[in-house]
Amino acid sequence: MCRRDSKMTNKTIHLRSPHFDEIQIGNGKDLVLIAGPCALESHDHSMRMAEMIGGLCVKLGVRWIFKACYDKDCRSSPSSFHGLGLDDGLQILADVREAHGVPVSSDFSDPSWGPSTGEVCDMVQVPAYLCRQTSMLRAAAATGKPVHLKKGQFMSPWNMKNSCRKLEAFGNDQILLTDRGTFFGYNMLVNDMRCFPIMQETGYPVCYDATHSIQLPTSMGNISGGQREFIPHLTRAAAACGIEALFMEVHDNPPNAMSDANTVLDFKYLEVVLAQAKAMHEMRLELRAKWGEDNVHPE
Amino acid sequence: MSTQSDQSLTVADVMLTMDACPVADERTILKEVLEAMDKHRLGVVCIVDQGMHLTGILTEGDVRRKLLRVQKPLAALLADDVITHAVKSPISITADVQLMDALDLMGEKKIWDLPVVDADMKVVGMLHLHQAIRGVLDTLQQK
Repeated sequence: MCRRDSKMTNKTIHLRSPHFDEIQIGNGKDLVLIAGPCALESHDHSMRMAEMIGGLCVKLGVRWIFKACYDKDCRSSPSSFHGLGLDDGLQILADVREAHGVPVSSDFSDPSWGPSTGEVCDMVQVPAYLCRQTSMLRAAAATGKPVHLKKGQFMSPWNMKNSCRKLEAFGNDQILLTDRGTFFGYNMLVNDMRCFPIMQETGYPVCYDATHSIQLPTSMGNISGGQREFIPHLTRAAAACGIEALFMEVHDNPPNAMSDANTVLDFKYLEVVLAQAKAMHEMRLELRAKWGEDNVHPE
Repeated sequence: MSTQSDQSLTVADVMLTMDACPVADERTILKEVLEAMDKHRLGVVCIVDQGMHLTGILTEGDVRRKLLRVQKPLAALLADDVITHAVKSPISITADVQLMDALDLMGEKKIWDLPVVDADMKVVGMLHLHQAIRGVLDTLQQK
């Protein structure tokens, strides 16, 4: 008498623009990299990072999205670099896309910035701290662009469904869900790898933020520390657990990075981390083709 | 209550109408479904798709069994879509069926509630054992 197969439908995220070939995330497609410096630092630096990361992605056969923020509204100190601002930042992102034929993304921290951000960016990002704010989700949905929604460090993976439902109610069902770590006491994050299959139950693809996950929030008084030595281990684990996109903040000179200097990945390590993530992703797809979907039920 | 004889009583005569029985969309979270059951003082809810077609049923017994078997945190269980935990091939009946035949079916299946559907499988009500028995008793007293 049941009329419908209750199996979850896996949705695919589409990034489309005349500037680049369509990128799809989810449903067993190739692993997609979302990468760039934490903050836009200058026009030249952004162009250089796009060239470096883009060149490596061509070498490895990985599609990618350039991500960098124009306004870092969650810095620990008022004296920390806040960003280049909306107008200058979006102009740089538009230039990067034009010059390198790569989709671009930035987060935005105020609903009023949504329309401008969506006008330029091919995917808009909602910061983890704001992942359940209705006004932010309404603004993100209204851009009409795919929404990269990070799980708040304070949120359970199953409650991310509520944020998805809000986005859906506001007319947007192009959602990418990312784990960037969960608070484990003060100044400490851990990755609960159960996040990925649990968030996949929403039907949306999931992503792993490898560089924020190893952050030690505000562990150095007025700035955050980090243990980037764990990035390779955690990235391999996340790829094995079913992520369809990998997020990493990458810098060519981390000690001098203007934001998140203690967590950004040095570009010189990007190849070894990304190549392994890609291999793990492909192996997981092979295993799924051979053995089927994970189907160990609780009862 | 109907004054018809028990032989001619149909499910339609005694079933709970839509305003009296809880019905929930498949994607309603379990917590809200339990609240609806509480509000209606009924231990069962019909699960429907967006077209009101019956796709499942959830009873207090199903919830009890889940609590004993599912080891996930209660907060996660409460956030699950109700269809995840529903019985997805529920027995149902149409409103024109003779009440005694419906009671036979409930006895045979050992169930207290039967979703009532139309020819398109759209939910139109619920047959609850209390109302069914009351209908039969009223008819007997009138004889």
